[in-house]
Amino acid sequence: MKKAIELTINGDVHEILVATHHTLLEVLRDQLGLMGTKRGCDLGACGACTVLIDGEAYLSCLMLAVDAIGKQVITIEGLSEAGDLHPLQSAFVDLGALQCGFCTPGMILTAKAVLNEEKQPTEEVIKQKMAGNLCRCTGYKKVVEAIMHVAEESGQEG
Amino acid sequence: MRLPKFKYFEPGDLKEADSILKSESSAKILAGGTDLLVNMKHRIECPAAIVNIKRIGDLDYIRSDNGNIRIGALTPLKRLHMSTDIKDNFPGLAQAAAAVGSYHHQVMGTLGGNICQQNRCMFFNQSRWWRSARPTCFKAGGEICHVLNKKEVCYSTYCGDMAPTLMVVNAKISLANAEGSREVPIQDLYTGDGKNPLSFSTNEIMTEICIPAEENDGVSVYIKFANRDSIDFPIVGTALWASMEKKEYRVAFTAVDRKPVRASNVEAFLNGKKLDEKVITEASALAAKQAKPVKTSVYSPSHKRRMMGQLLQNAVKEAVRRSAQ
Repeated sequence: MKKAIELTINGDVHEILVATHHTLLEVLRDQLGLMGTKRGCDLGACGACTVLIDGEAYLSCLMLAVDAIGKQVITIEGLSEAGDLHPLQSAFVDLGALQCGFCTPGMILTAKAVLNEEKQPTEEVIKQKMAGNLCRCTGYKKVVEAIMHVAEESGQEG
Repeated sequence: MRLPKFKYFEPGDLKEADSILKSESSAKILAGGTDLLVNMKHRIECPAAIVNIKRIGDLDYIRSDNGNIRIGALTPLKRLHMSTDIKDNFPGLAQAAAAVGSYHHQVMGTLGGNICQQNRCMFFNQSRWWRSARPTCFKAGGEICHVLNKKEVCYSTYCGDMAPTLMVVNAKISLANAEGSREVPIQDLYTGDGKNPLSFSTNEIMTEICIPAEENDGVSVYIKFANRDSIDFPIVGTALWASMEKKEYRVAFTAVDRKPVRASNVEAFLNGKKLDEKVITEASALAAKQAKPVKTSVYSPSHKRRMMGQLLQNAVKEAVRRSAQ
């Protein structure tokens, strides 16, 4: 069963024909070529496929593509503005919060959702909310530091 | 991992959903998708049709109505544990919602979906490849239950976090179809049959969860013991509601039986008593007698029974602490 749909991804409207049993992750990677969203466990247990749906962290491997109609989808490709890295991306690079980088898109988008919700989360809140994003290179400490750094910077600006 | 193919429906209202569910007898309802889609990827549930109810309006709300708290079935778990109404009046419910899966599951998963969560078992919740080493289990369409090596029976365990917390506050569930709606106590939703754990008809949709006003008199607590705090299902979960003034107590457990269970023996022992150290210790010894856990996960039944008592002790102490505040 196929359906012609419109998806708004990173601000661009895509008119595409999708199979109704395809997940958003499959459509992003296989049909739209947006490879930044990673396929990890593909069962909703690792967080690598996280995307932002209307500003909230969703697992794209557990969401049907047809369910994203009418919603604003942001993938890691859509986070930078005018070619400049998003502050979270810069902080991850500057503070060494990534090793192989496979979990990083999911980590950054979950962090973005956490900061959308609360501008100055405590370290404990960050740890709780990031706990669904697994890193197999064991880099959690620096991830939390990078997010805390961005939260502190935005607090100073605000 | 591809999902199996299915017919897809997006009804705009309950009437339309009802007519689809009547014509598609093996259809499954999709809400948050965090349970159903995983099972479909494993090919342990392969419905011919999926009915996505998220386009049905007004099923996502938390309202106070004459002291009763009414929660729409499609309310995400995250909203539940961030709501001040819930956090202040029913902290146990907020604790349970915050304990479900990871942050992502709480954003996507709904209260109704969590209540209707499929039972789990180490022989069932596995990939097709893993399961192919044994004859198909009874729940997945075969003949045998590998847990106790018996035929035509299923011992899978109910592992939802929300159900026990709703049971101890006597929550009522509204189920609707085109003919109308009915309200049932939450414990009536569960059959205790591992293969078909839910009792209501396949063309009924859960619309609302109501917590009666009188439950505001007590404090509620939920304590979950899991392998990893970050994401796992409970090894054992304990919910407690306690009114210190009336000396009235309610206790329920999850992940210890084929359905969430009210510990009526513990309640009968506790009711009318002041919660001192001796009473708490005696109550915790009774807890394990209320359920018959079997080995559906890597944790042994004896470990689960011991944890039931321990978690009850912790929950009672927490309730005492909270009501002193």
